[in-house]
Amino acid sequence: MLGYLARRLAMTVPTLLLVAIGVFTLVRLIPGDPVQVMLGDAADPAQIAQMRAQLGLDQPIPLQFVHWLARLLTGDFGHSITDNLAVLPLILERFQVSAVIVLVAVGLAACVAVPAGLIAAWRQNSALDLAVVGSATLLLSIPSFWLGLLLLLLFGLKLKWLPVIGYVPFSENFWQAMVFMLLPIATLTMIEIGVLTRMARAASIEVLRLEYVTHARAKGVPEWLVLGRHVLPNAFAPTWTLIGLVLGHLLGGIAVIETVFTLPGLGRLLVDSIFARDYPVVQGCLLFTAVIYVVVNLIVDLCYPLFDPRVTVA
Amino acid sequence: MHARRPSDLVVVGLALACLFVMPVRAAAETVLRTRLNADIRSTDPGTNRDANTDGVVAHLVEGLVAFREDTSVGPMLAESWSVSNEGKTYTFRLRQGVKFHNGATMTAEDVVWSLKRWLDPATQWRCLSEFGPSGIARIEKIEAADPQTVAVTLDQPTALFLPTLARPDCGQTAVIHRDSVGPDGKWIAPIGTGPFKLGEWKRGQHIDVIRFDGYASRSEPRSGYAGAKTAEVDRVRFNVIPDSSAAKAGLLSGSLDVISALGVPDLDDLKSRPEVQISVTPALGLTGILFQTRDPLLKDVRIRRAIALCLDTAEIADVVMQGTARANNSALPIGSPFYGEVQTHGYTQNIAEAKKLLVEAGYRGQPIKMIANKRYGFVFDSAVLVQAMAQGLGVNIEIEVLDWATQLDRYNRGDYQAMAFVYSARLDASLSFEMLMGPKATQPRKIWDNPEAQEMLRQSMMTDDTAKRQALFDEMHRRFIKDVPMIVLFNGAELAALRKNVKGYAGWLYPQPRFWGVSVQ
Repeated sequence: MLGYLARRLAMTVPTLLLVAIGVFTLVRLIPGDPVQVMLGDAADPAQIAQMRAQLGLDQPIPLQFVHWLARLLTGDFGHSITDNLAVLPLILERFQVSAVIVLVAVGLAACVAVPAGLIAAWRQNSALDLAVVGSATLLLSIPSFWLGLLLLLLFGLKLKWLPVIGYVPFSENFWQAMVFMLLPIATLTMIEIGVLTRMARAASIEVLRLEYVTHARAKGVPEWLVLGRHVLPNAFAPTWTLIGLVLGHLLGGIAVIETVFTLPGLGRLLVDSIFARDYPVVQGCLLFTAVIYVVVNLIVDLCYPLFDPRVTVA
Repeated sequence: MHARRPSDLVVVGLALACLFVMPVRAAAETVLRTRLNADIRSTDPGTNRDANTDGVVAHLVEGLVAFREDTSVGPMLAESWSVSNEGKTYTFRLRQGVKFHNGATMTAEDVVWSLKRWLDPATQWRCLSEFGPSGIARIEKIEAADPQTVAVTLDQPTALFLPTLARPDCGQTAVIHRDSVGPDGKWIAPIGTGPFKLGEWKRGQHIDVIRFDGYASRSEPRSGYAGAKTAEVDRVRFNVIPDSSAAKAGLLSGSLDVISALGVPDLDDLKSRPEVQISVTPALGLTGILFQTRDPLLKDVRIRRAIALCLDTAEIADVVMQGTARANNSALPIGSPFYGEVQTHGYTQNIAEAKKLLVEAGYRGQPIKMIANKRYGFVFDSAVLVQAMAQGLGVNIEIEVLDWATQLDRYNRGDYQAMAFVYSARLDASLSFEMLMGPKATQPRKIWDNPEAQEMLRQSMMTDDTAKRQALFDEMHRRFIKDVPMIVLFNGAELAALRKNVKGYAGWLYPQPRFWGVSVQ
């Protein structure tokens, strides 16, 4: 187990190095310049040159990369060009906001989607199946910003149950934070229910066709036990893989939801930084996202044996 | 049972009074909640800044002088000033009893220290280059003649000294207390003289400014960034809300009191809401179509003129700005005190003349790439209408939509054929021309390369004789229209949506909201 873990972690090093090179190159290939964005249309060339020199942007790009990488190896992600804040603490602060929404939403979505998919598969082609598949497809098709705005209009504007704008960190006041987080979590949960239900249903249908399920039924095992003991554990593995991918993808930022609900999350930080051409922050965010992806997938892989005894990590 | 002692009664009475009075006091705090579409960059005036930063910081700090509503320069922390030594020495008499947010009284020494700090390259003041070799003038000497008098000596006379000091993007050359920076000179927080002091700043969430009870207000009425500044609310909260739909929902739900910089598409809907009032103010920005006069095709002024003559700018302004802005072909904004009868003469739609010019120029439908962006919706909409009207004439314009940073890069390099663009507000008429004029060989971003007009601009910067300046601006306008380096379409409008309980709000030519003199009822 420890050997496997060490091997997997060692494999991430070249991956992250490639990501670092790719991220740095791609970010510098985008036309535009952070100094020009900061100074706007009123800047004169002398001002632009002076600020570029102060920020080290006048150095050759390979040299900038080497400096960035050297600092990165010491855990220094650099400072934001826009507001001079250290990038890593900024990312971690923003990541907390995104992580709470994503983890809770995906957890809730899984709790709803896995049983719903299982039941739909169990009653395949029935009205119930049609209803579940229809709902899942509908939820999957709705753009998150639109659903978010609808919820905002209903619960914020019409019913006035929930606040429309603002954010309170959980560390400050748990209940107030919940009030602000409710709508973004609900939006993301609904979208992810659609994604996960379809996978859970498809995986369950596969398993329901296998011989050991027929055998269990022939033995007279009650149907709830067939589903709970034989179908669910075997059908959950593919869904678990998808959950891992979804988590990795979403933890990298839910910019649209964060923008609609005015949450200071990682996705919004990334988007704002791209528009401002804030290179250190964009690079930091993308690299951090890659690390999250790798870590989440590693955790998912390590958890496999818990759901499927045939899989071992060694 | 014994009688209750009077002291007990007093204690009980006080406790009850506290119970009732405390919540009342807490609830009595008046908060005005408004929106920023992006967070501010810093609290250091005129250094690490953008328009949002300037707008927030203007509540916290003040300079010696400030722009009035009509873009003239008025006194702020200065009581008065005189100019001597052939226009090279400005002597400012300071107002008495002005307090900093830390309670200290402002003196001439504070002004001298602040000015010297701005001129220190380590401060990275945005406007430092204005006082350098290629700027408006060098500052040779700053001295405190007495505790209430400061004298600044320049190396040459210039009409732009006071307007530059007052520029919002220069942080109004604020007078700040020296404790605003640490012993190492690093910025801590603004200890200014403004009607509000800095409250909580939660990055990415909100910035609070809190009423400064020791504020010494001027007696004249509020005018631009000058005049009386009375904080009518205890706190102003600038909420960072990037999404305009979320901001609109915030206003309608009562979570926000004011949305400034309202987008034109939201205007119609909000106008019809009974709980909302709309504020429309003419703006100083300049929206128009830039031409690259070095382009092989567009270097022919007849083609540029033909495009200008095929446009109905009044219709473009009306459609794009939904009736909130007037068409203007002049480089001077309509709100400028130098905008007169001459400036009203621009391009009049004349399709026959335009067609004739195209034939003369030998134009045969070659495509013209016009860059636009969607960050400013009105810029994109203008580009589409110009494209459609030019198409009617047979001019083949293709729109290329870029993000703002990319467009700005192309603008600075002069790498375009045509470009729909918006210039930010310039509060002095010379600066309105300066942003457009210059030699393209050394400054590719400049769009109008006309040495004679350049000389007129230089003269307009040297004199403060209004009549002489007016004559120069009139002549520059005529040449600008003749050369067609750009078709100015309109100056736009500053739109704000307020809940009905907000009183005293007024926009002005500069596109940042002011929350002094504004109350929430």
